[in-house]
Amino acid sequence: MSNAKRTLLLAAAAVLALPALAENPKVIKIGAVYPLTGNIASTGLDCRRGAELAVDIINGKYDLDLPLARTEGIPSLGGAKIELVFADTKGEPKNGLGEVERLVSQEKVVAIIGAYQSSVTKTASQATERLHIPYVCSDSSSPTLTQRGFKYFFRASPHDALFARDQFNFLKDMEKKGQKVKTIAVLYENTEFGSNVGKEVVKLAQEFGYQIVADISYAANATDVTSEVGRLVKANPDVLMHASYITDAILFTKTFKEMNFRPKAIMTFAGYIEPAYLPTVKQDAEGIVVRSTFALDLAARKPLVAKVNELFKKKYGTDMSENAARSFTAPFVLADAINRAKGTEPDALVKALEATSFGPSQVIYPWEGLKFDPQTHQNVFARGILVQIQRQQYVTVWPFDSAAAEPVWPLPPWSASAGGAQ
Amino acid sequence: MVRAAAAAAAVAAVLAFPALFGSPFPLHVAIMTLIYATLGVAWNIMGGYAGMFSFGTAAFFGIGAYTSTWLLTAHGVSPWLGLLAGGIVAALTAAAIGWPCSNLRGHYFAIASIAFAEIVRTHFNNWKLVGAAEGLMIPITPGGLRVFQWNQSKEGYYYVALVLLALALLACWAIARSRMGFYFRAIKESHELAMTLGISFVRWRLAAIMIAAFIAAASGTLYAQYVLYIDPESVLVLPISVQVVLVTMLGGAGSLPGPVIGAAVLVPLSEITRAQLGARGTGVDMILYGALITLISVYQPKGVHGFLAARLARRPAEPRAAAALEKPA
Amino acid sequence: MLQQLANGVLIGCVYSLIAIGLTLIWGVMNIVNFAHGEFLMLGMFGSFWLYTLWGIDPLWSIPLVTVALFVLGLVIYRLAVSRVMKGPMLAQLVVTFGISIFLANVAVLLWTPDFRLIDKPLLNGTWNVGGLQLSVPKLVASAGSGLVSAGLLLFLRRTRTGKAILATEMNRESALLVGIDTEKVNALAFGIGAALVGIAGGFLAMYYYVYPQVGGLFGTLSFCIVALGGFGSIGGAFIAGLLVGVVQTLAGYFFDPAYKYAVVFLLYLLVVWFRPQGLRGW
Repeated sequence: MSNAKRTLLLAAAAVLALPALAENPKVIKIGAVYPLTGNIASTGLDCRRGAELAVDIINGKYDLDLPLARTEGIPSLGGAKIELVFADTKGEPKNGLGEVERLVSQEKVVAIIGAYQSSVTKTASQATERLHIPYVCSDSSSPTLTQRGFKYFFRASPHDALFARDQFNFLKDMEKKGQKVKTIAVLYENTEFGSNVGKEVVKLAQEFGYQIVADISYAANATDVTSEVGRLVKANPDVLMHASYITDAILFTKTFKEMNFRPKAIMTFAGYIEPAYLPTVKQDAEGIVVRSTFALDLAARKPLVAKVNELFKKKYGTDMSENAARSFTAPFVLADAINRAKGTEPDALVKALEATSFGPSQVIYPWEGLKFDPQTHQNVFARGILVQIQRQQYVTVWPFDSAAAEPVWPLPPWSASAGGAQ
Repeated sequence: MVRAAAAAAAVAAVLAFPALFGSPFPLHVAIMTLIYATLGVAWNIMGGYAGMFSFGTAAFFGIGAYTSTWLLTAHGVSPWLGLLAGGIVAALTAAAIGWPCSNLRGHYFAIASIAFAEIVRTHFNNWKLVGAAEGLMIPITPGGLRVFQWNQSKEGYYYVALVLLALALLACWAIARSRMGFYFRAIKESHELAMTLGISFVRWRLAAIMIAAFIAAASGTLYAQYVLYIDPESVLVLPISVQVVLVTMLGGAGSLPGPVIGAAVLVPLSEITRAQLGARGTGVDMILYGALITLISVYQPKGVHGFLAARLARRPAEPRAAAALEKPA
Repeated sequence: MLQQLANGVLIGCVYSLIAIGLTLIWGVMNIVNFAHGEFLMLGMFGSFWLYTLWGIDPLWSIPLVTVALFVLGLVIYRLAVSRVMKGPMLAQLVVTFGISIFLANVAVLLWTPDFRLIDKPLLNGTWNVGGLQLSVPKLVASAGSGLVSAGLLLFLRRTRTGKAILATEMNRESALLVGIDTEKVNALAFGIGAALVGIAGGFLAMYYYVYPQVGGLFGTLSFCIVALGGFGSIGGAFIAGLLVGVVQTLAGYFFDPAYKYAVVFLLYLLVVWFRPQGLRGW
């Protein structure tokens, strides 16, 4: 072949190849809506960190079992990188709607993750459902999110009905160990998250055969909770179940001490596992049980957890928290689906999401894996664990086969705690 | 002549807006602007004209939203009927709360309105019938005018919001020119003046509050149908009421176009600053907002309208225009 | 029941302390300082930072915080509030709202929205007094509140400046006629009002968590308390504060904790309907 012909052929090949190159986007944008300012901005920041680390791992090359970790970017799209575009919901549902629309129409994101607060996720996902954009949530826990029959919404993490059931299963397991429980008091902050938990607990108490002796809802930003605790003291339950955010968790812990409220166990949701809680109340929190998706001591049975935490610590200077761990998952689910769909067209992406199948070694939680129920799009393998504050650490105590230590029961007495003249 | 032409151009621009700026975010901003403008008109009627400075508009906004949404989700009632029902419920509630408060003035009235709105919010937050804290969700339907819902684009909402604002402005204009408007201005001046003139202070106060409540409630229904989800945090909180007051004050309380001007400035400003600056989580957008409010109160409390009126009044070459602007309308 | 009553009184004293500053401002210049909650928040943050950066316990830092807030009050008065005194009522209502939003978000910018708590204050724990569990910080705060209120009344009635303030409060025109510089009085009152709530912030920081939006509920409650007590009446504000604390606690205990603030607001509305001037002069 003559030189001229060869050059011509190469040029022709290059020209023919150009469209193919143009079709592959170099960057795939995913919108992330979180409360970056407002009352729970510290949580929003946590979530942001988890998601950003996930995207780092997807875009880079890491020797981890996580999906797409060992390749750079999305392999089937020529290594296209994922870019997270963050938007601040300020913790308000109407901003969930507004920001999603802005992200989709102005920023041209192909999918949405977020929004931690269930009430905001509700509106944000209504926006995506109307716009036909996929939404993968791995940090909101209201059961109602996956009861709406939405086509474009997927949830990877457990929800509060599951978490509540976990707590009751724990009680039943403790009974087998000889710890009898008869009465339960349920205490919850009065927004979407708390009242849902309250409902579930009351329902399950009936199913499991426990007696509810107090059902108290309160405003999360209360200036003082002595009346609520007064009622609890009067009801004298064996076990207290408490759904709170962090501010009320702190206030209640202090008031429990002040009014000497000491049931056999305090089992909680959410607020007690926020990073700011333990350093603030210290010894007064010993023995409290919290529901969680994640705990650092899972590393004993799953080295992946330790490796991921290492990366997190290197990047942010602190251990991975539960919120960060939850938000960590959604980007992987999306990236994996985009990879299999070989593109970002919404309906193809939804199909790919529905076919998602991760094994137990590909998630940093003690789950059998990740697979979405075809009707509800809830991850059928999602489950919670229970951790207990022991010697100022969150220690996994249930399920017993994942536990790192024996549960402490009943709660230790106050005088063993520091921080208070008696 | 010039004024008529300018007005016609403005009207044409407003009608053509969705066609010119059809993408969702600008339309969203426009719809929120129209909603707040309508709320501002409602507030203006009872505050700017009748002198009752309420910081509880959100209560009626929320009552409207909840009434129509509950009727729809629990009983399948058309949202249009629900809008009327919401307005009536809000007006009756306004009368019920307005009557005992009819003697309160100034700061006392303001604080009473805050207290009232908080009671309403707490109640809805705990009322299982309307979903308590979880709120109510409106099911997604194929959409259309009859069901007051559009999903593929927002133009429908834009035009409904526009019509609602136009009706509210019409009501305000009619009131201002009528005897009712005269009574409102009298009771705004003072109780004593009203008595001297033989006007029933209480009755006209109630009238103002009820009309304002009706309009606010109608906006609430529109909002609910737009967002398809309401909960106490999104429709019954104090910041909404404060924003309504600010919108009207910025534009010029007591003037007809005031709320519209104010909304046209404040709502896009807060939406855009949030979009640009909010993601960093530093609250800079709210700092600017707070500073703006403070500055306006200090330097231009009569708002844009007052500023323009003052400027035009100073020009000796246009005495007629100045006189026209001095008339309360 | 007695325990709840005691708790109610304790929290009520804290409320009173917050309210007397507000009522002073209101009485003297007829302005509701809607940024009062934010002054409280700044007082709390002041206390927190003095503790965290220099190890000064909140109890000892109270004088420092008080002075700082006095100065801040003066500055805000001069820069913003004084200029709306001659303006329309609406501007007077709204300007402090603007200041409150501004201050709360400056706090977010400077200190992030995170929650802070002073973890080892000097005053801590509970005392068991005759079977009642009484929180030590709240007890000291209550004692402080009583002392400060008494001190304020003494200042107002016995000192020259204080009497000038009282005179202005009673009748502005007459005060001008006798040569009192009412502008100065206004500024002083605003500064003192801010200082007073700064003291409350110092006490509150001993046991409550600090964050930029903490002023919200406390602020709203204090408006009701002041209006309940009758604007300008220090004694009225004190008693109203106690009343609100007790009502809130008892309502939460006997009725429903979720409604306890609603009950307070309802009480406010009822009192104001039947007695628009509040409890003043009763």
